[in-house]
Amino acid sequence: MKGIFTFLFLIVSISVFSQTKISGKVVDEKGLPLEGANIFIEGTYDGTASDADGNFSFTTTATGTQILKITFLTYESFTETFIVENFKSKTIKLKESMNSLDAVVINAGTLEAGDKARVSVLKPLDIVTTAGSAGDIIAALQSLPGTQTVGESGRLFVRGGEADETQTFVDGLRVAQPYGASANNIPTRGRFSPFLFSGISFSTGGYSAEYGEALSSVLLLNTQDEPVQEETDISLMTVGLGLSNTQKWEKSSLTLNTAYVDLAPYQLAVPQAVDWNRAYQSLSGEAVYRYQFNSGLLKFYTAFEAARFDLNQENINTTEKNRVNLNNNNLYLNTSFNGVLAGTWDITTGLSYGYGQNKIGLDLDDVENTEHASHLKLKVSNKFSDRIKLSIGADYFITQFDESFKENLGDSFLSGYDANIAAAYSEMDIFFSKKLAAKVGFRASNNDLLDEFNLSPRASLAYKTGKFSQFSFAYGDFVQAPRADYLKYTSQLETENTAHYILNYSYNRQGKTFRAEAYYKKYNNLVKFDTPTAQFNSVYENSGSGYAKGLDLFWRDNKTFKNLEYWISYSFIDTQRDYRNFPIQATPSFVAKHTASVVTKYWINSLRSQLGLTHNFNSGRPFENPNKAGFMNGKTKDFHNLNLSWAYLMSPQKILYLSVSNVLGTQNVFGYEFANTPDANGVFNSKPIVPTADRFIFVGFFWTISKDKKTNQLDNL
Amino acid sequence: MKKIIITIVLFATALVSAQSQFEQGMGKAFQLWGEGKPAEASAMFERIASAEKNSWLPNYYVALVNTTTAFQSLGDKEKVAPLLDKAQEALDIEFIKHPENPEILVMQAMIYTAWVAYDPMTNAMKYSPKVMEMYAKAGKIAPENPRVVFGQAEFEIGGARYFGQDTSAMCAQIDKAIGLFATFKPETAFHPNWGLDRALEAQKECNKK
Repeated sequence: MKGIFTFLFLIVSISVFSQTKISGKVVDEKGLPLEGANIFIEGTYDGTASDADGNFSFTTTATGTQILKITFLTYESFTETFIVENFKSKTIKLKESMNSLDAVVINAGTLEAGDKARVSVLKPLDIVTTAGSAGDIIAALQSLPGTQTVGESGRLFVRGGEADETQTFVDGLRVAQPYGASANNIPTRGRFSPFLFSGISFSTGGYSAEYGEALSSVLLLNTQDEPVQEETDISLMTVGLGLSNTQKWEKSSLTLNTAYVDLAPYQLAVPQAVDWNRAYQSLSGEAVYRYQFNSGLLKFYTAFEAARFDLNQENINTTEKNRVNLNNNNLYLNTSFNGVLAGTWDITTGLSYGYGQNKIGLDLDDVENTEHASHLKLKVSNKFSDRIKLSIGADYFITQFDESFKENLGDSFLSGYDANIAAAYSEMDIFFSKKLAAKVGFRASNNDLLDEFNLSPRASLAYKTGKFSQFSFAYGDFVQAPRADYLKYTSQLETENTAHYILNYSYNRQGKTFRAEAYYKKYNNLVKFDTPTAQFNSVYENSGSGYAKGLDLFWRDNKTFKNLEYWISYSFIDTQRDYRNFPIQATPSFVAKHTASVVTKYWINSLRSQLGLTHNFNSGRPFENPNKAGFMNGKTKDFHNLNLSWAYLMSPQKILYLSVSNVLGTQNVFGYEFANTPDANGVFNSKPIVPTADRFIFVGFFWTISKDKKTNQLDNL
Repeated sequence: MKKIIITIVLFATALVSAQSQFEQGMGKAFQLWGEGKPAEASAMFERIASAEKNSWLPNYYVALVNTTTAFQSLGDKEKVAPLLDKAQEALDIEFIKHPENPEILVMQAMIYTAWVAYDPMTNAMKYSPKVMEMYAKAGKIAPENPRVVFGQAEFEIGGARYFGQDTSAMCAQIDKAIGLFATFKPETAFHPNWGLDRALEAQKECNKK
């Protein structure tokens, strides 16, 4: 009897621990076996790794409905619900993870810099350690292919487009006044301190449907999500002072940044080609506040700048100099929220407001203008899987511009406009495989001032040809309202438009990047007028057109030489346009056929120093010479600028920085100004447009105070 | 009566075997790791993690095994990123549940340190402050944990040597950590108890000067 009982118990316990064999094979998308994949039943100890032939086999005591899970580095995890008793040996295909670093990237037209960039041509540090950039984001971008060096402007000119064809966005919201105030032929700088931005994406064409109102290019700046620590930064420079402080709390943080710039002492020490009554002086402040909700991140960014200068400019037409006295106030506010809406839907929404006011005294006349520019944005996106992502969004741009011109002892003339642009877009990212991806979308916009509706398709495709190389192609239509200079006088205009075709080849391999991009751009509907300058009684019409085609090359190598990083960029462009008051289609004066830069940074360990050398070159630029037949038939000599910089880490938190521009002292000429009327001999006299100074020397001392005693401002230089 | 006893015994055996399944599994995983099979060890820890959702240890070891392997593979750059991604993925699961666990904070600091070592020019600026933040947080919670004390000192000493600064404060911390290692009692045999050998190495380095 006892024996039977024991026997029964044994039977029962064996049946409780009865084992089922689970076996099969793990392969990749091509059917090749994967060795080392981890196969197991979720919630149990039962599992194994696949062998060299991809085969696996293990036993389990689990019964009923279970989850079979397979994980493997660089592959998407596989899960499947199954009934243990019914399991049949099978072959399981793992998909390569699209998140892994070697997946195809849709990158035609785009140059990335920053933390999150998968393939970045610039690192955040570069913005600032590039010799000659002097902390200006815009100046650093001018060392990239597709841009023109236009020394007398300082703005971004992209692929044959005017500077205002580039639209700047901070956290996805438009910045209507991205540059500091300047006068004719006095270069300006970007308004934003690189210190607050962690990611920069610069598109030289073919960009996403999310962005509009830009014919040539978009510059996307993203503020830091979360500062890593509390710190204070102090900067003492030959041109001014800077102070910045970051405070961090449990869920929020605040960064305040303020700068005072005064060029007067410097200009006293180093004489300039400009006759200043009051050298450039500005007080600016920026603040970023971030709050982390459970469902997302709220950011508030604001920047204020008050600037003034007063100078006497020589004029070829008069013996007396023209006095320009400028006061500029600028305020920019930007609030954005980025978070989870519901389920897999994400939301990005925000509001920006820019206020720009200029008071300009031109000899005895006074010009005063104000611009209010707002942008409201809503975007929702859903990542249905690693392979499909959908974005839908809407924008609303409000621009109000008013200008008054008061003649000395004379009348006042008022001009201005109010424009509202409503736009909606939709775009889809599709990864067909790790090798082939596409992005297709469209943007619809309506401009109420011009009473015009536009539909712009956008598409790009990327195909990976090898482990490190890929081709991408992008096409897009882009529209932009005419500039304020014309709209303030007439609204009887249409939007200007371009079409971009871009073919890109890129090669990326550990520390080496090569990029070649060929493009063709067709411009239509460009604004023309019938007077020497755009004025209130000119006749304006959208009868202009143009094209740009070219090749941009970029090579960066951080690897071959120890402690040396360098990049070389070269752009060739062939462009002509019939716009403004051009009598025929011609190459505008800001375009040089060949542009090249070489940037090098060498780290000298024993001196704890980084030595930077940057050389910018462009071939001669066209100018209109009335003494010769034809139009835009003059050409300046080649432009050369060699910049040198030296950053010395005195201690982990103290840096001494020195930079010198145009070390060789090349006498550069940007163009020529000609007299309106010929002299007694029938010759139009001319005057060269030259840099404000042949050489600029900058010395700064940067001191960071933080708890970790390690951080410094090397990335601010 | 006997039936009851047998039933109880069988039931107890089942319980004991469930208990020892964790121990067996962990033991097996450590054995694989010891045999120089980190991928297999990581897979084993991952399977244990899937069964033992209430223990932070298996995922901690998935992170530790993969991060250690990443440090050993720095020469082979393509390998490092997936290993560190795997480590981060496993640690993330436990970080949310135990944000105040000093061992998990130290593990996070090690993953960041590995990213710095992977590409110092790109990552040092970004991750160094984060490493320090993790150690600072862990130091507040467990000032006597030898891995916290040693990890922080080891990270700081690199920078100080570079600038030719005085390293004696960090060396003193390393000495202190070695003392703490001697008295440190892990909760169980499977709780983290590594680091003494590396600390002794670092101490030798300190004593050279």
